[in-house]
Amino acid sequence: MKISILKLIRVILAVLIFSPIFLFLCDFAGILPDSFSNLLRIQVVPAILGGSLLSIIFLTELTLLFGRIYCSVICPLGIFQDLISWFTGRGKKKNKKRRWYKYAKPLTILRYSLLCICILFLFFRITTPLLYLDPYSNFGRMAVNIFRPVIMEGNNLLNWIALKFHINNFYYITIHTVTGWSLAIAATILLVVVIMALLRGRLYCNTICPVGSLLGLISRLSLFKIVLDDSKCTSCGLCEHACKSQCINSKGKQVDQSRCVACFNCLDRCKAHGIGFRFAWARLFQPAVKKENKVLEITKRTNEIGMTRRSFLVTSTALAATLPVFPAWAKSEKESDPTKLTPITPPGSQSLEHFKLHCTACHLCITHCPQQVLKPAGFNFGIDYAFKPHLSFYEMAYCNYECTICSEVCPNGAMHKLTKEEKKVTQMGIAQFVKDRCIVVTEGTSCGACSEHCPTQAVRMEPYIDSLTLPHVHSELCIGCGGCESICPARPIKAINVLANEVHQTAQKPPEEKPEDEHKDINFGF
Amino acid sequence: MKRRDFIKAAAAAGVAALTFDQLQAAVTKNQMKVEAAPDMVAVMGGEPAQLLERALQEMGGIEKYVKKGQSVVIKPNIGWDKKPEFGANTNPELVEALIKQCFKAGAKKVSIFDHTCDNWQKCYASSGIEAVAKAAGATVLPGNDESYYKEVAIPQGLKLKSAKIHQALLDADVWFNVPVLKNHGGARMSVAMKNYMGIVWDREYFHSNDLQQCIADSCTWAKKPALNIVDAYRCIHKNGPQGRSISDTAVLKTLIVSKDIVAVDTAAIGLFNQIETMDINSVGHIANGEKLKLGTQNLNQLNIKRIKL
Repeated sequence: MKISILKLIRVILAVLIFSPIFLFLCDFAGILPDSFSNLLRIQVVPAILGGSLLSIIFLTELTLLFGRIYCSVICPLGIFQDLISWFTGRGKKKNKKRRWYKYAKPLTILRYSLLCICILFLFFRITTPLLYLDPYSNFGRMAVNIFRPVIMEGNNLLNWIALKFHINNFYYITIHTVTGWSLAIAATILLVVVIMALLRGRLYCNTICPVGSLLGLISRLSLFKIVLDDSKCTSCGLCEHACKSQCINSKGKQVDQSRCVACFNCLDRCKAHGIGFRFAWARLFQPAVKKENKVLEITKRTNEIGMTRRSFLVTSTALAATLPVFPAWAKSEKESDPTKLTPITPPGSQSLEHFKLHCTACHLCITHCPQQVLKPAGFNFGIDYAFKPHLSFYEMAYCNYECTICSEVCPNGAMHKLTKEEKKVTQMGIAQFVKDRCIVVTEGTSCGACSEHCPTQAVRMEPYIDSLTLPHVHSELCIGCGGCESICPARPIKAINVLANEVHQTAQKPPEEKPEDEHKDINFGF
Repeated sequence: MKRRDFIKAAAAAGVAALTFDQLQAAVTKNQMKVEAAPDMVAVMGGEPAQLLERALQEMGGIEKYVKKGQSVVIKPNIGWDKKPEFGANTNPELVEALIKQCFKAGAKKVSIFDHTCDNWQKCYASSGIEAVAKAAGATVLPGNDESYYKEVAIPQGLKLKSAKIHQALLDADVWFNVPVLKNHGGARMSVAMKNYMGIVWDREYFHSNDLQQCIADSCTWAKKPALNIVDAYRCIHKNGPQGRSISDTAVLKTLIVSKDIVAVDTAAIGLFNQIETMDINSVGHIANGEKLKLGTQNLNQLNIKRIKL
């Protein structure tokens, strides 16, 4: 069977881009270099939110030249759907008729409404709808919350076997960073995407995905397009059956360019050489239709475009009217410990506002946090913070003093890259000590676990009663890493808790002093 | 001469001859082994490997503690993501020298681990211990996950009746407790007894159930270390256990070795008091340990060798 060269290139590129993205999202051991995150910076939503002009120009040009290549080669969720279709053999020639694709009309209103919602909310500095619809973030959540745990458990099994053979190259790891909510959203999206892909090919990309809709608007103008050759096409429908976007209308000899994802599956199907990927910019103005149909077709086309524009306007107006309701709805109910009302945002996120605006909860930082201190939130910080990562302190989990990994991998610009020196003075919050809950006071025994774990000695043990010492917080030195909170043994509420800084501050640098000389004159002393 | 007498006499002569041989050998080699080993040895004024070599020699040689084919665990303090010069972790050169000594004595396997406070991979790397241990042929084991720890009974414990202890220690034939001497905000001082907190998983229990008693209780675990080797090459004398800056670290170039864990802690605090005042009575776990008959604070009772290189 001959395979079109364009399709071959598309598949190879897709594999080359998808594999590292998938591995990087699941790389719990930090094996891959952080430079892999560059593959995520060319994803549409991260590029827009991260303000990466270069990526935006590149993606626009790519689409203007060749159509929605992005959807077939760069977008991990798109390639994931292709994998599902491939495994299940949808659209293959040898398979039964019911497994072929058929042309379907676009769901124009739904499609552009969802795009409008995302854009409009962005104007009001709310990323929530985009968080739920962005293909990259959705794929990230699926990978991090479903595939990564499977890989981690596989690692634990492997280690168990290896230890039987006295091989110590692996280590056990317990997963702390998948929550009920994060698993639920990831599983929902996985289910939706798989079902849609099995039933209707790229329906998700052409109906729900705001990136697909946006690129679809651009790809109408692209230079190269899939074109049916009017003179050679016999309307046999072979190409249509292979089209997972369901955008080839073989009867009308039309291709809906806004939905074509440039997968090139159709190219090698045609026996009459009636389909091709050609320079066809002019086609926009001269639709290839038979003369008698021309008027009708043109009217239809104008209607379609008209509808798009109209629906865009209608939906945007309607949505704009409902917007003020949203922030009120987003407020959550109160919690008992006052420090748990505001999320502690990761280092480099600058402020709660900045973080909320840029993070679309792809959970990449959660995978890469070596301390497992970054956890996806539930709805406890409000709907507009749902699923976004926050620092959650429990035993052994606090933000490492010298670690800047999360700020380095974030493709969205939700966290700005920090140097070690900057990180060491980035104050994400301040520890609040409540004496009445402290073990030293309630039990009368030594503790000091908080001070022990404090990397800046912002929490210092100072004389209390007898030989006991009690922690004191020197807020100017505290960076809110949560070392103290993570280890505090007081229950049910800990005696020391970090209160988030809604705007990150700069802590004082612990004083650097010269090392003392060697003690030459000392004796044994016993 | 009766036959029985002959046999008796011959046997006696044989024994005498054998003993004489041993005596002669001892005299010629100039070393009287075993019986003469002191209760504690403190060596000062050298590099970690030199200090260890001399101390072990005085204690009767490593062969006295590690037999051929045994598997050995070395438990240093690797609690913090800090470079060696801060003295927050056991000196890597000391650990390296001890590994080499163990292999020299014919150890089948030498393993190293600690239940760290900071991220274990960062601690192992920053402390320099992972690199030297691997180079010296030791096995570096993780201690980061609960699944490595198994519940054991601590029958003599007053507050701590059982604890989850690292599997490597349960499996080992011999182990060495190799702490670093330092100040500690909570327990006041961290020496050999405090180092036991790194062999258990459930440390939070310690903090919430009388830390000073739990530390002493954990040291009553039946499997005692062959030796407690206290690294006092560098010493964090204030703002411990991590130190706020390098100025909190003093260079003492000392090593104290003993089987008696209470005595070794007592001696180490004696040394410490020359740089920073520390009332030993405030370091509650030492007195608690003495009450549990783990050793003595009365160093005058002991045969201590103090050596300056």
